[in-house]
Amino acid sequence: MKAKVRIAIGVGAGLWIGAVLAAQSLDRIADNGVPGASKQNVAGHVPDQNRQAQQAPVAESKSPPANRWWTPGEGTPLAPLIAYPNSFGQLGVLNQAGVIETKGHPFFEPIGENGRACVSCHQPANAMSLSVEMIEQRWRETQGQDPIFAPIDGMNCPDLPAGDPKSHSLLLERGLFRIFLPWPPKAEDGSRIEPEFTMEVVRDPTGCNLHPKYGLKSENPMVSVYRRPRVAANTKYFTHQGFGVFSFIGKNGLPATRDPETGLPSGMNILADARQPTLKTQAVEAAITHLQFNGKLDEARLEKIVGFESQVYTAQISHQGAGSLMESDTPPGLGVANVAKGREGLLGNNVTNFVFPMSEQWRKPAPSSDPETARRNEMRASIARGHDVFMFRTFWIKDAMHLNTVGLGNPTKRTCSTCHGMHMMGMDIANGWMDLGTTNLPWAREEPLNPWNERKPQLPLFKITCNAGVPPHPFLGRVFYTQDPGRALISGKCNDVGAIVMQQFRGLAARAPYFANGSAGSLRELVDFYDRRFNIGYTDQERDDLINFLSAL
Amino acid sequence: MNRSIVTLAMMGLAGVANAAAPPANHRNFVACPIVRDTSSVPCWLAEYEGETYFLTIQTDVSAPVNPPWLGHKVLVEGTVSDEPRICGGIVLKPVALSVMQELDGSCNTMLPAEERYNLTFEPPRPPGPSKGRLAFGDPVTKPQSAADVASKSFELRYEFDSLVMFRHAQPLQQILEHARQSGASRVQITGYRAATLLSNGQLMREDEQMGRRRAEQVADLLRGAGLTDLKYDVKWQDETKRARGVDDAALRRVQVVVDR
Repeated sequence: MKAKVRIAIGVGAGLWIGAVLAAQSLDRIADNGVPGASKQNVAGHVPDQNRQAQQAPVAESKSPPANRWWTPGEGTPLAPLIAYPNSFGQLGVLNQAGVIETKGHPFFEPIGENGRACVSCHQPANAMSLSVEMIEQRWRETQGQDPIFAPIDGMNCPDLPAGDPKSHSLLLERGLFRIFLPWPPKAEDGSRIEPEFTMEVVRDPTGCNLHPKYGLKSENPMVSVYRRPRVAANTKYFTHQGFGVFSFIGKNGLPATRDPETGLPSGMNILADARQPTLKTQAVEAAITHLQFNGKLDEARLEKIVGFESQVYTAQISHQGAGSLMESDTPPGLGVANVAKGREGLLGNNVTNFVFPMSEQWRKPAPSSDPETARRNEMRASIARGHDVFMFRTFWIKDAMHLNTVGLGNPTKRTCSTCHGMHMMGMDIANGWMDLGTTNLPWAREEPLNPWNERKPQLPLFKITCNAGVPPHPFLGRVFYTQDPGRALISGKCNDVGAIVMQQFRGLAARAPYFANGSAGSLRELVDFYDRRFNIGYTDQERDDLINFLSAL
Repeated sequence: MNRSIVTLAMMGLAGVANAAAPPANHRNFVACPIVRDTSSVPCWLAEYEGETYFLTIQTDVSAPVNPPWLGHKVLVEGTVSDEPRICGGIVLKPVALSVMQELDGSCNTMLPAEERYNLTFEPPRPPGPSKGRLAFGDPVTKPQSAADVASKSFELRYEFDSLVMFRHAQPLQQILEHARQSGASRVQITGYRAATLLSNGQLMREDEQMGRRRAEQVADLLRGAGLTDLKYDVKWQDETKRARGVDDAALRRVQVVVDR
């Protein structure tokens, strides 16, 4: 292992030593000999990730306290309900368990080698994700030395010059962390999955996919893609065992991944490529890849991390125009209190549950002579109309893999809530990967090169060629291009290329940019993507209403 | 055999053979699907020999018949019914639809809604949210506890030249649950390759390896879902000679027998 420089400032150094001593050897874990699901909660791809994580340098870091920022190891108790301002109002973080003592808590302590904690990239102020605005602020406050900029994945590739913003451009400009995965994929037991396609690196602006040490042709072949941190809250909804969670995936009939401890099938909605079945297995991988923790976290810490994630909720709690979202007359689909008490495992794409239940009081408020109340009511009515656009405005959904292919026909005349049907969350109810075109060409964000500016493509581009012995991709054919093969990096399936597990809708106001690759910088850009992609033809009014609705979630 | 070659051949002359024609009230053909909008859900149509046929309305994952895809041809295997035309098309009922795997950019016809083609019935679900339940029944239901039988048979049906897909999640779940609940010791899996007799008298055969691939895939899926302790007896069979132009779609199948 390469010699490392590590100067952590603040609480946590002692814990780090203890953590390393307590860690189990990954080699031993990988050799557990359990076929299929691993009883050790270490998926087949993780040992390879660990090798790369341990190869990468660890930079000098510091994480001083700052406004709205949770520093690893700072030890401040986390209150039962905290409000954080954002440009649309206030976000709330609610701890159902009451005050969380963060001192010594593995979610909040720097348990790996690079000074990060889970909270580094799952900040309460950013709806337990991390906004690009916060990342930029943190760069300025620490001169790029906060652990979030760690070379392993906070840099475009680990060996770029430290302290140079260009080395961190994807994180600073689009909020993207590097995800590195073995290629070809590994099955749960570590055996090689033979992919149905070949993958050629057409463009490698970060240098990581062709890198001799970190790339696809290295001794430990890895593909690098760049993704946003997902929301580590409201987890009961996307880990449910309710509607649609079965041993076989309702979208393709293949076996669902299973909880290695219980054997129960997973809804496969946790990560962008569904590679981890449970919060616990996700935590094991994240500690290794993001925190550079060399080993498997012990059960006690895993239980505390999962316990925290299972009781924390987040949603907007006030809206700058519509007022408080914590009142008794708040529509049942809004406000963090309602999110916390909602029922998980429900399909909401219907007129009985609804995805985000609204109220008639907001849709048709009583007239008021008070100008302030009238303005508030107008915003509430706009949010309600935006909900109706989301729920009832039909358009032709066409060429979306894992949507048009699951019995609806291509095209299908449906609404936003067709795909975003999970009650209270707006994710798919189960097995939620789809290809909307956020990463696959021709729909992915790609500015044509031209001589009039110096902007260059930021993301890698891969040429995908589906093998002759398998059906071509149903809508893209046998040869096509992608910025991120998504689920296919795990399954090896040609028709999974570019399919991404959709994210929840909560706390959108606090965590731009959007989509897994951060390609929509604002809610307007997000709505505009869909408008272009599906030729929806929103009116200005519909667009504004929809944005108001999304900003209130 | 290379599947793409088979599919291409299927669309041309090789891979199809001349045989006796199906009965007069059957329509088996390959064509581009057409989608016609209505004031509620769209209709799916196809044209054959100058006539328009109604295939299905827009459905959802739970429906017994699912719409085809623009961008692909569709194999239609249907019986002419005496129901009134729907969306201007002669109603084929029952009908089986198979999306052809290769892309075909010429299949891109979307017709606008016209008053005269509006549905005369209320569709099981509107084009947006449902009325609180899946319109056609739950696609994946937890089965009843296993009956006390020594052996139970299941059948999975397939689209032409196709392996497992979304609609197989339910029967696979039933097999899994039955095997677990009954304490099964053995599972016999037989995959069938079939053919369909087209209305023009040509016989359209599936990939030569399709029976084997279907059987082996089902065995892999059951093992992958946790049925690892059973004895697997995996066979395959060619039934292309059974095609008569009537219910040929039912021949494309995998039979699974679970024994205690």
